[in-house]
Formats: sequence, structure tokens, C-alpha cells
Amino acid sequence: MHFAIDTADARPIYVQIMDEVRRALVMGALRPEDPLPSVRQLAADLRLNPNTVAQAYRELERDGIVYVRRGQGTFIADRATPDAERAALIAEVARRALVDAHRHGLSADDLIQAIRDAAAADAKTAAE
Amino acid sequence: MTHAAPLPHSIASPTGDLAVATEGLVKRYGKDTALGGINLAAPEGGVYLLAGENGAGKSTLLRILMNLVRPDGGSTRVFGLDPQRQGPQVRAEVGYIPETHQPAYRWMTVGRLLDHHAAYYPAWDQPHADRLCRQLSLRPDAKLGSLSKGQARRAQLVCALARRPRLLLLDEPTDGLDPVARDEVLGLLSDHLADTGGTILISTHLIYEVDRLADHIGVLRGGALLAQLPREDLHRRLKLYRADGPEGWVGPANLQGVIKRAALGREIRWTVWGEEAEVATRIADSGGVVRDVASLTLDDAVVALMRAKD
Repeated sequence: MHFAIDTADARPIYVQIMDEVRRALVMGALRPEDPLPSVRQLAADLRLNPNTVAQAYRELERDGIVYVRRGQGTFIADRATPDAERAALIAEVARRALVDAHRHGLSADDLIQAIRDAAAADAKTAAE
Repeated sequence: MTHAAPLPHSIASPTGDLAVATEGLVKRYGKDTALGGINLAAPEGGVYLLAGENGAGKSTLLRILMNLVRPDGGSTRVFGLDPQRQGPQVRAEVGYIPETHQPAYRWMTVGRLLDHHAAYYPAWDQPHADRLCRQLSLRPDAKLGSLSKGQARRAQLVCALARRPRLLLLDEPTDGLDPVARDEVLGLLSDHLADTGGTILISTHLIYEVDRLADHIGVLRGGALLAQLPREDLHRRLKLYRADGPEGWVGPANLQGVIKRAALGREIRWTVWGEEAEVATRIADSGGVVRDVASLTLDDAVVALMRAKD
């Protein structure tokens, strides 16, 4: 799988790695029992400090998304379901959109209405 | 910047062992003070980014650690050893890559240079050196004087990495490298860290180029260490606040830790060092509406610290 890490993103790098694993779960690119790349491999591929990758894996383990099989590596946990991660992802996307709306002086209702209008416009374009 | 909120120094009582520790380190060149009492603490197993503009004193500090420059005051320890009295023991543990990539002997071949290092360092690992040369397409028969800047840097890296030192001192390691060479250097350093769990101290003014490796940050300006802290603390406590308020609103009086303030119409932006909840409350209490609180990228954070007024 491909991890997109962006140092211009204000999220810490280990959070970006965690988010990438979550995203891959929701998209179906990663499923329970799939292995993650080794800390060393991912660090070398992304030119990262291995400590940063290890920190991301530790936090994912704490969240129950991955587990470590000793001597074999890190794997996606059985209980890490796309549904649970999708719910977390939707909440996160919504929160970010709300912050952005607030920043522009818009209310939650403004945002919800605008999303409905945009979705309706998209559907109309697709139908034509 | 107000004196009520000094710039961050959160490795004052570091946990764990230090690879590099200086106390009150002073170096003068005639009337100029290159280093004016530096307390640097680089934890073992980390990547410490020493950021600063050219002439801030970064290279001088690294040279003192290698006992290539004699300090005028203070103490220096590398793994608890004093470079001035225990130079050979320190150099056995340290791989140093100076800023200059001009080889001393232009007629010498890469192979001869490596042989020289192999003879000097008992920890030299020849198969590892060969592997690194292959990885970097370094030809042993190439003359040092004929190498490009990027190739010369690669040769320096092989010399330093082939004996897996506990500490790497890198002075502007990516300066002047093309993007491919820079990417290779970062890959080698990542591999080295995974292999050894060692410590790296990188001095640079090109922060974004080594951003991905750094976990501790020191900011040097005019011979003084303005800030020194784990990257996470910097990320958590240095933030950009955007707020707006009623006509004529100027924000809270005496907001502490302000590094920068800018106004656009009725919107005010502050870059502030402090606890987010406290700062946001102060702004709200003064009649403003906080629109956004954002962390800074490492590059922006360091630049903000470097530009902070005393």
C-alpha cells in the first residue's frame, strides 16, 4: 500500500501514518490479518525517523487497530472493521469541515445546507 | 516578545541519557562571540535538529564537540566524555561530516580514502562499506578531485556510516545537493537509525529538507540557544490563533508568549507559545471570537522562533 506523508501538513507525521492506515482500512486496501510493512521498511521507504514509525504503530496497537505477533511483525487486528473506522473517519471529516466553516464565519446549519445543495447539484450533473 | 513568557526550553531536565551535553559553552573569535553560553542537551537515540541561519554558531559548536576548536569557557560532554581531554575516545564513537565537501587530497581515489578510514577505525565494517558504495554508485577508482558535490557528500557518508558510530554529527548535510542525492542521503540516515538506534545531531538552515527525521529541535541565533525542546512539545504549544472582534478590538492586553502579531481588517492573528485552552480563553474574554487554532509546520515554527523579538 502507498502511504502519503506530507511535511507541509500540520498534523504530526506519526498521526499522518495512523490516518493512512485507517484510510486503507476503510477503503478496503487493508483487511484484518494483513501485515503492515516493518518499521524499518516503512521508515526507509518514506525517509522517516524509525522512531516516528514505531510511535505510530504503538498508538495503532493501543487503539486496537493492529497487533504485534512476536518475531513476525505487525498485523491488522480482527476487530478493526471498516465500519468502525468508517464511523471514526466520518466524524473526523465532519469535524474538520465544521472547523473550516467556523473559520469562515459560517454556522453548522449553513454547512449542512451547502453540502446538501452541492450533493444535489452533483447528482443532477451526473444524471444529465 | 514579552519577557513574562520566555521561549521554550523544555529539555531542562531531560529524561534518559544524553549523547551530547554542553553547559555554559562559550567561544569567542577576537571581539566576536560565536557561542555565548550554550546549554545543549541532545538525548541518546534521537535526531536533534540544530537550526539556525548561517553564522549563528552551528558549525563552531559541532567543531568543539570534535575538539577541532577549543572553547573559551563552559563544559562539553559526548557520551559523558570530554572531547578536549578524551579526544580519541570521542572520535571513535562519532562520525562527523563537516560542511565543506572539498577533499583534502584531490589526487586520492575513493578506494584509498575508504582504506584509510578502515585502518584508522577498529569498528570499520568493510562489507557494509562495499554495500553502501554499490547503493550510492560510488566507484572506488574515482579520484576525489573529480567528484561532483553530491558524489563527494556520498563518499563522506560512506566513511562515516561504515563504522556505525553511536553519534553522527552532520553539518548542513543536504546543502547543495540535488533532490535525488538528498533523497538518497535521507534514506541512508533512516537505514542507519534503524540499524543502530544511534543518535544524530544535524545542523542546518534547510529545515524542511531534514524535517522527516527530526524529533528534537534546538534553535540557535547569534550564538544563543533560543529554544530547545522535543518536536512534539513545539507542535503542541506553538500555535497560530485567528480571531476577530468588534470594531476597534485589539485583543487581550498583555497576552503572554506572543511571538508574532498581525492584523487584517478586524481579524487578528497571533503566533503564541502557550497552552491552547488558556490562550483561547484570554482572547475570548477580551471580546474576540476565535476562528481557528492551528499548529505550525516545523519549518514555520522554527522560522517564527528565529524571528521572535527579544
